[in-house]
Amino acid sequence: MSASPVAFEGPDSPSTRKRKPARHVRAAAPPRPALARASLVLAGGGLGAVSALTVTGESASQLAARGGVLTFAGSLTGMAGSYLALIMVLLVSRIPFVERVAGLDGLIRLHRLIAPWPITLLLAHALFITAGYAEAARTGAWHEAGTLLTGYPDVLTATLGLGVMAAIGLISVRAVRRRLPRETWWLIHLGMYLALAISFAHIIVLGPAFVGHPLTQLVWSLAWAGTAGLVLLYRVGLPVVRSVRHRLRVVEVRPEGPGVVSLICTGRRLDRLAVSGGQFFCWRFLARGMWWQAHPYSLSALPQPPYLRLTVKAVGDHSSALASIRPGTKIAIEGPYGAFTRYAQRRPRALLVAAGIGVTALRSLLEDLPRGSAPVVLLRASRPADLVLGKEVRELVRHRRGTIHELVGSREEAAIDEVSLPRLVPDLDHRDLYVCGPEGFVISIVGTARNLGIPDEAIHHEAFAL
Amino acid sequence: MKRAPWLVVAGAVAGFLGVAGLHKTAPPGTLASPGTRPASHASRTAQPGRARPEGTAAATPAPSTTGSAAAPAGPVTALGAMENYGYGQLATRVSITGGRITGIAVPVLRTAEQYSQQLAVQVIPTLRSEVLAAQSARINAVSGATYTSQAYALSVQAALDKAHFG
Repeated sequence: MSASPVAFEGPDSPSTRKRKPARHVRAAAPPRPALARASLVLAGGGLGAVSALTVTGESASQLAARGGVLTFAGSLTGMAGSYLALIMVLLVSRIPFVERVAGLDGLIRLHRLIAPWPITLLLAHALFITAGYAEAARTGAWHEAGTLLTGYPDVLTATLGLGVMAAIGLISVRAVRRRLPRETWWLIHLGMYLALAISFAHIIVLGPAFVGHPLTQLVWSLAWAGTAGLVLLYRVGLPVVRSVRHRLRVVEVRPEGPGVVSLICTGRRLDRLAVSGGQFFCWRFLARGMWWQAHPYSLSALPQPPYLRLTVKAVGDHSSALASIRPGTKIAIEGPYGAFTRYAQRRPRALLVAAGIGVTALRSLLEDLPRGSAPVVLLRASRPADLVLGKEVRELVRHRRGTIHELVGSREEAAIDEVSLPRLVPDLDHRDLYVCGPEGFVISIVGTARNLGIPDEAIHHEAFAL
Repeated sequence: MKRAPWLVVAGAVAGFLGVAGLHKTAPPGTLASPGTRPASHASRTAQPGRARPEGTAAATPAPSTTGSAAAPAGPVTALGAMENYGYGQLATRVSITGGRITGIAVPVLRTAEQYSQQLAVQVIPTLRSEVLAAQSARINAVSGATYTSQAYALSVQAALDKAHFG
């Protein structure tokens, strides 16, 4: 249904467009919100269950014993903290049916939102247990800490794990993280997996909810093993299989505007690669100095077998290096990811807004919208030359009987605000807003839309952050 | 999804009630505090003070009541106080036959975690033979298990007091 009259030009058809008749391209399956909702209930259920295990495992007399209250607080924070750590891993495990609904960026936002909790809870766990045991044993906290580290099985490794977690937590605080190169931060962040792995044993061996409860031990171990399996399957296995199956490589680098290039890639069996317009891949260019990092870039058009196109603006080291990438370079992909698709639409029509290079996701999303869907498109740029892909967007809008407004000028001259937006889009109440662009721009447009009464479920955004 | 927080809360409540309910309906002893075994009918002799052993409490059968099975006077048993010692709690039951301490059982042993449980199980036989040898609760603590030893001695002393021994 998305066969478009506006094709990007492959390298073998400069403008003659002698494409083979479009083969049926596999459509992406629609997201299933019910499954995501069930996952939410399940996630909450797990938290309730681990709390209940801790509470029922405690007797009134244990609580009344010296240090009992502190020890109980230690158990509760420990269980809740390690359970939340499990949820943190699941949030970034790319489980397809969850990702399709929430989008990778939405899941990562949630991951960041929750992040302080497991670390704080686990630090509190260590402090409570040390204080509680010290009180029970009538010794000082320092002495008791020594006893715990040397005398209790697996506590030393768990403490090391907690140290690693706290350190990674610190460098992930926004103010610190901004000073680190993205790749450096990412490599360090992988240490979390190690920290979790070495902390696992002491829970099973010492946790009051687990000792003498083989069933609980089994369920807990299976939950973690299952999570590790999902991470390996969806973060490693599936990307490898897709990369090998499609064997993408660069065939052409084409300038599109100031600092903007399109990479035309070829691949095998791209008709089997189910992508929705507006989605992105993490691209790993297998060239010297680049192979070890994967960067997210949106497709700037729907796949057009045997071609794929991404359009990139030189902003960071990686995107700048892409302008000089050699044709023939092989590419490994992770994805497609993102919920910024036509399936997210809740109201009859769509308003698509993009600034700068945000036009790439808008362009492929637009291509995915049905004919006669009458979208309104707002493109914002500071200079006319920055309106890349403008011609393609205009043509797509025309084919869908939509309207396009190109707002060129400074932020003041070409503002999108609570005054100009209703004037440009009179039927705002019947439209979903899709906005894509730099983070500051997206935040401002989303704020404007909320103030104008567009409900949250009708606002969809994709922000580029460095 | 606007309702997401509510779904999580609903799940959490359901999960909590589910597990707590399972715990309630489970036969006593299967899901109770760590290291528990089904209660023995024998622990009715005398109730220790504040910390009472519950219905689901552990009642480890006496390790073995050293060869005084058919003593003429018949054994007198007394249950010592439940001692909380931080890492857990224990109570002892002392058997006295013909004016001699002939057996000490530990009907209640509960610890917060596996490590303390293992430690207690290891040292209890040592403590028992010390009491049998000394014929009193004045025993040396086993090193590395000071608190367990103290609790054991205190509980034994309480049992001996109750039986008007010595």
